[in-house]
Amino acid sequence: MMRAPGPSALRPVPRGLFSRIADNETLLWPALLAPAILYIVLLVGLPFLLSLYYSVSDVTVASRAVNFVGLENFRRIVESATFWTALRNSVIFTIVSQFFVVVFANILAVALSADFRGKWLVRLLILLPWVAPISLGAIGWLWIYDSIYSIINWTARAVGILGPNDWPIWLGQPVLAMASIIIVQIWRIVPLATVIILAGLSSIPNDINDAAAMDGAGFWRRTFQITFPLVMPITLVAVLFGVIFTFTDMIVVFVLTRGGPYDQTQVLATWAFFTGIQGGDLAGGAAVSLFLFPVLVAVAILFLNVARRTEVT
Amino acid sequence: MPRKLQLSGITRRDAIKTATSAGIAAAVSPFVHVNSARAAKTLRILQWSHFVPGYDKWFNNTYTKEWGKKNDTEVIIDNINLSLIESRAAAEVAAQKGHDLVMFLAPPAVFEDQVVPMNDVYAECEKKHGKPIDLAIKSTYNPKTKRFFAFSDSFVPDPVNYRTDLWGEIGMKPDTWEDIRVGGKKIKDKTGIPVGIGLSAELDTAMAMRAIMYSFGAGEQDAEGNLTINSPQTLEALKFVKALFQETMTPEVLAWDPSSNNRQMIAGRSSLVLNAISVTRTGENNKMNIHEKIAIAKAAKGPVRRMGLEHVMDCYVIWKFSDNIDGAKKFLVDYIDGFKEAFLASEFYNFPCFWGTVPDLKQLVSNDPKAVPPDKYAVLSDVLDWATNVGYPGYSTAAIADTFQTWIVNTMFAQTATGAETPEDALKQADTKMKAIWAKWKDRGMI
Repeated sequence: MMRAPGPSALRPVPRGLFSRIADNETLLWPALLAPAILYIVLLVGLPFLLSLYYSVSDVTVASRAVNFVGLENFRRIVESATFWTALRNSVIFTIVSQFFVVVFANILAVALSADFRGKWLVRLLILLPWVAPISLGAIGWLWIYDSIYSIINWTARAVGILGPNDWPIWLGQPVLAMASIIIVQIWRIVPLATVIILAGLSSIPNDINDAAAMDGAGFWRRTFQITFPLVMPITLVAVLFGVIFTFTDMIVVFVLTRGGPYDQTQVLATWAFFTGIQGGDLAGGAAVSLFLFPVLVAVAILFLNVARRTEVT
Repeated sequence: MPRKLQLSGITRRDAIKTATSAGIAAAVSPFVHVNSARAAKTLRILQWSHFVPGYDKWFNNTYTKEWGKKNDTEVIIDNINLSLIESRAAAEVAAQKGHDLVMFLAPPAVFEDQVVPMNDVYAECEKKHGKPIDLAIKSTYNPKTKRFFAFSDSFVPDPVNYRTDLWGEIGMKPDTWEDIRVGGKKIKDKTGIPVGIGLSAELDTAMAMRAIMYSFGAGEQDAEGNLTINSPQTLEALKFVKALFQETMTPEVLAWDPSSNNRQMIAGRSSLVLNAISVTRTGENNKMNIHEKIAIAKAAKGPVRRMGLEHVMDCYVIWKFSDNIDGAKKFLVDYIDGFKEAFLASEFYNFPCFWGTVPDLKQLVSNDPKAVPPDKYAVLSDVLDWATNVGYPGYSTAAIADTFQTWIVNTMFAQTATGAETPEDALKQADTKMKAIWAKWKDRGMI
């Protein structure tokens, strides 16, 4: 039975600018894309061009006049032992942390794709490190690793793992310091990777797993021969995000070690900050940070290519 | 008819309108400024959150409020963490907008092009209170441009803080660096309690390592500003710190931040630290008995001289783009006129750069009601004889500031102390980095 339209439905729809855009498909998509494009141009594109410009200049944090100095800043940087240490540390920090991120995120995603009681709470807890401000999280870890009050050491001693004279200095010994910042970075990135891989898992049609089960495939066979190949492209996207976030991150290192002990956890991002902002040499800082760019572009192209090739259609 | 989103019940048109309005509001709101109706002028001050909370309480809630009333000015104070000052200042310069007065904790020579010269502020204060101390001049004056790029109202002494009970048990006092090495080892061997002098990328380490260098006759530069780090004296200082670390300390000093030595001393886990009097003040204010066991001593004597650093150098700058340059200058002059109040509010933490503003300083520090014993801080009365600036015997130039803020000296000492590099190699690496820094700032006409 049809109902008569109510009084509100009979009112003429106002035809303002918003209405015209909202109802016009050819105007709507550029309007919706515009903020994202504007954001990328203003906050990514312009700063990038500016850092290119700065890196071949003698600009400081305080100078308004910018003189062209060619590749002088790059020459000075590659002559510095700190730069090579920072480059090596950035690579180690990124590769080791992302290896563990992939392993843990896959395990968590498979676990979270199953139905169990309280799943929403577990998902929320796993997401917390990602949604909480990283500076706050890093300060929490700073206390966990504290040289005097470390809760890790205290607990280990209480349960007898550490003897009365053992007291690891997490942020003061080179290997432990690197391990500490890697652990925090894993803790930070795993939630994002888990969510991405979880989305990939939920897009696998049930028919495939059902058919495999009918053919007698067990959990491990289904996991390694069906699930992992199918989520490989999206896993690579998660790794790409992780690599970029880790290679360009300075907060974890800045809060926990400030590059110490004696530059053994210095990464390119923190070295760029110390040189450009703390030291006042904006041009030098820009040149250090630009070393990141070709590496990240190469990694992005490689990962996206591999992802496309492994895509199952 | 507009299509409806299936679950929410709102139209696509509504969604776009709401999103657009929110976007515009978010983009525009930072630029909306409501002027205060209460005062004719505004003075914005950016400075650190003081280690003595009582100082901020007095400065923010009493002094600046009263000054604001007298000068028909609304004074707005933003207190931030000390490690964020340089980055905040850089952001203000980039935006050409920000505070009228910005206080740095180390000489900010690299910002000289962006600041108003303070020659007239110094001259006016000098007329009223006599000459500023040499430490203030060396920290804020550029001899090349003949300009004061900052104004120093105060500095913080950096004495030796040591445990009287532990040092008493071995029958020694930490008067020289050699005493600290020998006595520190004896205490560590006997009790397991180490010496706590930082070897990390942070402020306290930067000061402590320079104190050792200067007392060993080494330095980053000479009086004319020429680079002199590569010297036999620096090598001796490096070898000494290696021995000091290996015999008296633990690796925890490699991970420290500026407050770690305070925590170690207050926790009873250090026999000696180099720090401002914030260690003992924390103990006194929080009623922790350990403060009664901590004594203050002059900077330790090295083979060449007794020389320590300032622990913190307050350096105010006024940006060229400040909205209230005259008000900021007046504020500084008035602040110096009443500096004794600041000295008392900081509980002797901030020492005057115009010594005449606290004429009874010696009596005050010799009889402090909180201290046990009451003359604990008396040793600070001749601090000017054993405290100097970063860059001694020269000025705190842009090259000195760059070296300081990129922790090159700290890293050199830490590499040597841990055995990661030989003293010769660590020195060579530091020398290479510093040569590049000197060349860079020379090219830019700053030194």
